[in-house]
Amino acid sequence: MVLNPAVELRNVTTVYSGENRPAIRNISLEINAGDYVLVTGPNGSGKTTLLETILGILKPVSGVVKVFGYDMVRSPYKARMICSYLPQDFMKKPDEPFKVREIVAMGIASKRSLGRLSREDWKRVDEVLELLGIAELSDRPIGRLSGGQQQKVFLARALSRDPKLLLLDEPFSSLDDDSRKFVADLLYKLNRRGMTIILVSHAPPKIAGLTMRVHLVDGCISSVERCSS
Amino acid sequence: MFLLTVLSASIIAGSLCGISGVLIARLRLSTLVFAIAHAALFGAALGLFLDVDPLYTAMILAILSSVIIGPLSDATGVPSDTLAMVMFSTYNALTFIFIFLSPGPTLAAEKVGGILWGSVLAVTRTYLVVLLMLAYLYVLVLALFWNRFQSILFDRRLAEAEGVNTRVYVYLLITLSGIAISVSLKIVGGFLVFSLLYIPAACGFVADSIKRMILLSALIGGASGSAGVVLSFIFNLPVGACIVATATVMFIAVSTYAYVRRRNLLSYLNLRIQSHP
Repeated sequence: MVLNPAVELRNVTTVYSGENRPAIRNISLEINAGDYVLVTGPNGSGKTTLLETILGILKPVSGVVKVFGYDMVRSPYKARMICSYLPQDFMKKPDEPFKVREIVAMGIASKRSLGRLSREDWKRVDEVLELLGIAELSDRPIGRLSGGQQQKVFLARALSRDPKLLLLDEPFSSLDDDSRKFVADLLYKLNRRGMTIILVSHAPPKIAGLTMRVHLVDGCISSVERCSS
Repeated sequence: MFLLTVLSASIIAGSLCGISGVLIARLRLSTLVFAIAHAALFGAALGLFLDVDPLYTAMILAILSSVIIGPLSDATGVPSDTLAMVMFSTYNALTFIFIFLSPGPTLAAEKVGGILWGSVLAVTRTYLVVLLMLAYLYVLVLALFWNRFQSILFDRRLAEAEGVNTRVYVYLLITLSGIAISVSLKIVGGFLVFSLLYIPAACGFVADSIKRMILLSALIGGASGSAGVVLSFIFNLPVGACIVATATVMFIAVSTYAYVRRRNLLSYLNLRIQSHP
């Protein structure tokens, strides 16, 4: 069966402004729609850079990045509408005034005209909060929550958008063991329903259903392994 | 009637500056807006030189700077903060050159005072009408795109990752701030307009949501404006200085309130811990 590529990277090199050394070098990778990819590697190996280059937040100095056929340098916004991203540096300061429910709603608002949410959208927000077990935190300012709770809020925001491609940067970093297991199971189910997932982790828990493992070392791909289900 | 016109203008200008201050502080764009405030000042000086209403030239220069600073930073590769400081220095130099070159005696109080430290004499009914129209436009744009702005104010990078063209909205906010600065320049003056942006915004920290922060800052900006005008009339002092001094007093009052509230809360929590060991 021929699958449409969800992500295509061809000879991609990304350099941070002011740096001489590329953060990722000459990366070529093809991820099919419906894949569940784990990207591993030591600190500074370019895992986050790879995710942000795929999303077009970082512009490559050379090479081509495509997401669902969209060129991420020329027209990144259309592709981003169907993607969700959970950043690694999500922690907010204690005086952050935005409340959990409005933060999750922002995820859907960015897909709507003028950011206006319908009644169904708000229902979706509440469903996702319920799904992740943080419904009782809805009206709490995010700055007053623990790291694990904040990480769940950002995951809820990412899932509320019902993305075709989900990019997760260290999604287990602040979670306790039970929550890790719960999130890993949830991601497995979402992937089984057709969501393409790229997950970056330097110390992942046991993850079921992976279709590909990519290992990065020093900004280069050191191994790509296709997994049998 | 004149006092009523001045009071209305100062309330509107103060409120607009208060709103802009919160938005700018959240986006950490202080340096950029500092440069735009001085672009407005240069525009006002240019207006004096060309013998046209400084309000319009200030607004043109402020909007122009808001629009070009981002693309200029991208094209030159110079960080926007650094570029803003270069522009700020250049605008300052140009302000003094055009004040010097403007018709009439150099540093004439009514001429220079009007743009440097504000003057109620510059407030006319036409000015009030223009101010009202711009305030309406400002609030309309803010309300129309509020959900987009809110997402950017929370986390600009995440909003960008989710498909919001944050650059467009951020520069729209900077342009709105440029308009607020330009219209406030006549009352507060170029040296002090920046204070009216930041002091009310600094009071916003006691609010528990971004909307309340903006509302509180707008209220304090408007209240400082009106109280400053009254004080200026009573003591025959420069109006801009009176407005900023009043805003400072309000900031001290709000900070004291926050301090007392926090102490009371801590005492209450200590009592609860002691009674439930």
